[in-house]
Amino acid sequence: MKKQWKILLVLLMIVLAAAGYGLYLFNAKPADVRTIEADYSLSATNLMDDFNKDEAAANLKYLNKVISVKGKVSDIKLEQSTGQATIILDSGDPIASITCSFYADEAGSVKQIKEGEEIVVKGKCTGKLTDIILNKCSIEK
Amino acid sequence: MKKIFLIITAFLLVHISFSQKRYYTKTGAISIEAGTALEDIDAINNSTTSVLDVATGQYEFAMLVNGFEFKRALMQEHFNENYMESDKYPKSVFKGKITNINEVNFNKNGTYRVVVKGTLEMHGVKKEIQTPGIIKINDQDISATADFILVLDDYQIAIPGLVKDKISKTAKIKVTCNYSVLK
Repeated sequence: MKKQWKILLVLLMIVLAAAGYGLYLFNAKPADVRTIEADYSLSATNLMDDFNKDEAAANLKYLNKVISVKGKVSDIKLEQSTGQATIILDSGDPIASITCSFYADEAGSVKQIKEGEEIVVKGKCTGKLTDIILNKCSIEK
Repeated sequence: MKKIFLIITAFLLVHISFSQKRYYTKTGAISIEAGTALEDIDAINNSTTSVLDVATGQYEFAMLVNGFEFKRALMQEHFNENYMESDKYPKSVFKGKITNINEVNFNKNGTYRVVVKGTLEMHGVKKEIQTPGIIKINDQDISATADFILVLDDYQIAIPGLVKDKISKTAKIKVTCNYSVLK
């Protein structure tokens, strides 16, 4: 009798743990890119070259990876209504740049940046439209 | 020789007159809402590219499907892998027109109601859509907003039975773009 209770108790614990884990997975927030070490660190020019040479290969290499990109700021956009900040990095390609879309609470540090400055941005690569787009960005230096 | 010169000049003239009347953005916001009472599902893409040609009303949007950010990691994964198949169809593109562009005076501040009509390509399916929208002109600031609803089935996005109570059969789309002059 005692043994049966024990088995039942263990089973119940397993079920609870599984349910808890399921709930945890379901509610898990996307990883904070700022706390993740970059998979690749390179210049904006080199990143653009990689995509221009072979987009499929570049997607395999960079898509959804955290990368640190060094480049010259060619434009800064701050949306008044949402506070959303975006920095455009020059890539050497006349029609395509690196669009870096920042975390909503990074607008303050983006305001310190000036056009023409050389900076390093860390973000998650989401692919290439005309520009290569990085999401969840923050300024590294 | 003279003829060639004339053609080149004509081409340049056309090009200049067109490029002066275009507005663009690389930071357009498009959000989707496809939740039900049981579950909130929303995501936003803040890097939508859009170009508006004032002379013709030609209007285009392009975005990376993979650029939608969700509040829950698992939803984002399912959105990309199961529903939108973003590795197979990485981009969504809208090409169309503002049908009543002549009613918008880009030199006069105000709020203008417009109708946008065109083809939306999403998940490998092209479909005609039409939606009302609003263009706001405030000196140099030109913004556009629109809300419309898409039926997921139209774009062959299948929702499995297990989660069909949690995911809406339609998605509410909200577009907000602030434009700059294309130099």
